[in-house]
Amino acid sequence: MAAVGEAPTLFLRKATGLVKGWSKFDAFLYSFMSVNFVTLGLFFSLSVIGYVPTGQVLPALLISGAFITCLVVTYAGLISIMPRAGGDYVWQSRVLGGGIAFVLSVTGWWFILWYWTPIYASILNVEVLQPLAAFLGMDGLLTFLGKDIGLFTICVVTALLAGYLVSLGMEGYAKIQKYCFYLGIGALIVVFVVMLFGSRSGFENAFNQEATNLFGTTGNAYKDTIAFAGGHAALPAKIGLTPFLGDSLLIIPFLCFWILWPNWGSTLYGEVRGASDFKRVMSGMMWGLWVTIAIAVVFLLLASKFFGWDFFNAGNVNFINYFYAYTDSPGPTPIWTYPPLLVGMFFHNSLIGALLILAFGAWFLGWAGTLFLSSTRVIFAAAFDRILPEKVADVSERRHVPVWALVLMLVPSLVVSAFYAFTDTFKTLILDATLVIAVTFFGTAIAAVLLPWRKKRLYENSAMARYKVAGIPLISITGAITALFLGYNLYKWLWPPFDEGNLYAINNSDSLLFMGAMYLLALVIYVVAKVVRKNQGIDLSAIHKEIPVE
Amino acid sequence: MKIFFVTDLHGSEICWKKFLNAGSFYGADVVILGGDVTGKAMVPIVQRANGTWEASLQDHRDTLESEDAIVEFEKRVMNRGYYPIRVSDQEYVAMQEDEVLVDKRFKEVMLDGTERWIAMAEEKLAGTGIRVIACPANDDMFEIDDLLSGAQVVETGDEEHPIQLGEFTMVSMGWTNPTPWHTFREAEEPDLAVRIDRALEGATDPETTIFNFHAPPYGSKLDNAPALNPDLTYVSGGQAIRPVGSTSVHDSIKRYQPLLSLHGHIHESKGATRIGKTLALNPGSSYEEGILQAAVVNIDEKKRKVKNYQLVNG
Repeated sequence: MAAVGEAPTLFLRKATGLVKGWSKFDAFLYSFMSVNFVTLGLFFSLSVIGYVPTGQVLPALLISGAFITCLVVTYAGLISIMPRAGGDYVWQSRVLGGGIAFVLSVTGWWFILWYWTPIYASILNVEVLQPLAAFLGMDGLLTFLGKDIGLFTICVVTALLAGYLVSLGMEGYAKIQKYCFYLGIGALIVVFVVMLFGSRSGFENAFNQEATNLFGTTGNAYKDTIAFAGGHAALPAKIGLTPFLGDSLLIIPFLCFWILWPNWGSTLYGEVRGASDFKRVMSGMMWGLWVTIAIAVVFLLLASKFFGWDFFNAGNVNFINYFYAYTDSPGPTPIWTYPPLLVGMFFHNSLIGALLILAFGAWFLGWAGTLFLSSTRVIFAAAFDRILPEKVADVSERRHVPVWALVLMLVPSLVVSAFYAFTDTFKTLILDATLVIAVTFFGTAIAAVLLPWRKKRLYENSAMARYKVAGIPLISITGAITALFLGYNLYKWLWPPFDEGNLYAINNSDSLLFMGAMYLLALVIYVVAKVVRKNQGIDLSAIHKEIPVE
Repeated sequence: MKIFFVTDLHGSEICWKKFLNAGSFYGADVVILGGDVTGKAMVPIVQRANGTWEASLQDHRDTLESEDAIVEFEKRVMNRGYYPIRVSDQEYVAMQEDEVLVDKRFKEVMLDGTERWIAMAEEKLAGTGIRVIACPANDDMFEIDDLLSGAQVVETGDEEHPIQLGEFTMVSMGWTNPTPWHTFREAEEPDLAVRIDRALEGATDPETTIFNFHAPPYGSKLDNAPALNPDLTYVSGGQAIRPVGSTSVHDSIKRYQPLLSLHGHIHESKGATRIGKTLALNPGSSYEEGILQAAVVNIDEKKRKVKNYQLVNG
């Protein structure tokens, strides 16, 4: 019952689209799965910190988190100003123009996903299949998975799996993701408990013994692992907070591979929304980001305590060096010292180890299904804007499968996968996969900065118009900080050139050729579309022209 | 013939103004609002005992201290598609407690709003040669039908009243398959199929027929909406998308094969598709943001073909 003096609330009638919102937990869950601690964090970002022995990962993580918080606010703001609109492509096209938006969006949300396919496959290979084969004593399979043809086979399986999940639609998969979340968290808690209460000497003994049992190593595999990575002098001394800045900042461009994506898949549907919806979208992403960072901090401290900081980094460096063909040998263990594998070894029981690996596989399964989802959406949006042929947005009549969009994803993915699996250099371009999406985000951040002025009416009509700092729109401030952060990373990725000591291995001719080809392809498609459509009497620039009101 | 088609404006005044300007902006011969003309919410502006006015919009509480401030606030409300209503403290409390009072007020403001829009159209488009058509759909109460059909410049159509566009006949169907909101014009699929069949009785030539069916065809990707739980919360945080269109509409397009099939209803499912030879379009709607999503369709009258089309965000 309302009381006199209460804040007036609006009256709604029964009408289509008036929903009651969604749970904050759901918003958190999908963001949390996007900044996937296990698949993205462990596989790469936390495996390469040994390459910056004079930096510290904890401050790098906290600093990145602070900046990515601005990215979260920026995206939540854009979602609230233009909800349901289709993300980066629409935001950029309205503020920056259709051409820029198309080029940045198709490269970031479509073309570069071709390269993500073999990355996903590699993660499946080294985090699930290889450890499982090791625990189950399937030596033949383990050998096959370690070969180029093995990796390519996994690429094919991953691409087909992702295509199949897209064809099923998101409804079923969204449920799978939820189960995966609970299973994955359960497995992580088990690992954390073991790492908390287990001793380092106990782990060292277990590792030496199980390395012999599983891989036939001789001698002290623990010490040999450290020695193979260059010994104590070549590895980070200990985990800590100093230097807080300095060389610690060099780790940030590595971390972006993992934690730059809390905005992935954020949606806002329904109508009659207000500031509370902006806050809800934002808090979902914020929790996803910061819970992940908290988990990572706890993990790193436990890794230092349980595995030993030297050993943890040495195992990772050995894996990365071998995986990217910087060395000819993987070191004492033929497969990556994946933390759940190491904890599984501590149990001295192959079955428990295998079960642990399978449970950790939930982190992969709950994440990998969205590989082609964003791409199909961008392909559809471009087709609706008449940039791509109408045909590519077709869905099959019986099963509603986006056949052509999937073909446009699957076929190039397999070609790129073949390059990835059968050449040494192509694997090392892993940060291209981050860079190209970061460029897309950079475009969106710039669009966010300009939006209050370029699209004044749209901005003022939104709940975001209420949020200002010293009279400056909040979205412009957070957009500018996001652009600065992304600009820093782009600079570090691209400068200096690889042969002058670039840490990130992507400013080389192969990498620049690969990325340049994608941008060129996008540009060519747009220009050709513009010419063809003009001949058909369609003006592509009319898509986003605002009709006068008065 | 160039058609400018929009749908689901839901009371957004700014979108209606853009709609009225769209004919000259795009060089269209006819501008069509496919359905869902009226708004979904009323925003009370409450006069407190001390004489000041208070209101909330987008979760923000405003105190309005002058007539100018109230008028400015009302404009913002109308641009989002809501109806501002000035009420006293007591009236507001009474409405909170009595749904009948709310329904009565809703009816008043929806009719007032529609009348105002009609007047704006008359003023803007009379004598320009640009035809303006506005049809009711499932979210529109039946009372607005009479207002629309009584208008001079604004034309309207429904399943019993097809509209001639030169040689072409546009058949309209504002009824939809059932929604979770139980709105004004909903029918179970078999009943909807009967209504569609009846509406098509007068349309003899598919090549010169245009459907303006509010519900999109089922499974056409023009009908994807976030799945809802029975309590109208999202399934899986809005990640779960499912087709919610009409099977009867889909079947009728497949069977009849009109030249063009125009749809709306599912705001988030902007798109284009072909069902057999028929081009089906849903321009979607972003009425609350004041963005006029539309389809511009160029028809070659001699060849009786869609020459080209474009989905725009005006």
